[in-house]
Amino acid sequence: MGEVETITLEGISSGMELGEVVYGPVQRDDFKAYADASGDDNPIHQDEDYARKTGAPTVFAMGMLPAGYLAHAVSDWFGGPQHLRRFKVRFTTRVWPGDEIVCTGKVQTIDGNIVTVTIEARRRGDGPPELELDHEQVALMGEADIELPL
Amino acid sequence: MAGKELTFDLPVRLEHVQDFARAVGEDNPVFFDIEAAEQQGFPSVVAPPTFTTTQIFQVPRAEREQQLGANLDYGRVLHGEQEFVYKRLPIAGETLKGRMRIAKDFTKEGKRGGAMRFVTYESIFTDEAGDEVLSAYYTLIETAKDVG
Repeated sequence: MGEVETITLEGISSGMELGEVVYGPVQRDDFKAYADASGDDNPIHQDEDYARKTGAPTVFAMGMLPAGYLAHAVSDWFGGPQHLRRFKVRFTTRVWPGDEIVCTGKVQTIDGNIVTVTIEARRRGDGPPELELDHEQVALMGEADIELPL
Repeated sequence: MAGKELTFDLPVRLEHVQDFARAVGEDNPVFFDIEAAEQQGFPSVVAPPTFTTTQIFQVPRAEREQQLGANLDYGRVLHGEQEFVYKRLPIAGETLKGRMRIAKDFTKEGKRGGAMRFVTYESIFTDEAGDEVLSAYYTLIETAKDVG
């Protein structure tokens, strides 16, 4: 995951890109661990036969798993989770076993010590062959507000 | 639907917080180690920002439907959006009180024809002193029937 340099109020400017953080590749075991820890036991994320019956080629991640990675990335960019004041994501495509999760962000506005950033997590990988997916696609997009220490 | 509300407890157990933090690939010791959390000024281990998502499974779907009555057809429901607004993060050892209601329910035309319905569940969490901790907004999308 590598070290992320913490952004402070002195060092910030609007339009600033937040360093890319890559998680994964996510595997079925990660879906199971998330199911056990979150209580999301929807079989579509764990049971191949069930997933196929619903028309999916295989199991896929619960959206909140990459959302958790993205919240992790935002926390690290700004020196810890305690500075988060708002975190919002929209789910745009599914994340498949073997995908890497590439998190990026960009500073939009700075109002006093409240920083608003747009955030994005892309899936990167081949995906199930039958879907012929692009190698990289936006899986989640959203924004976050961070209250930086004065 | 105005006024309908569902209340529940969300215990923030230490082992649960640690398991959840591991599951989302966290490596910051404030999510795992009491001493490390205390050194950073927290009363105990901190729950990751998306931890309260577990609440949606704390209240079974059937109970949510029965009490709040969105009448969703779960065969064509997707988790569309999720938002959290924080005063602070939950701390291991406390029990949060949650109040859930339907904050938004609207339908709009999909790009490929057919109406999509958006239902947002708002959960406001307060601590044992009655102070607000955070709010969570869980938005489900009911896709159109038989989009051709």
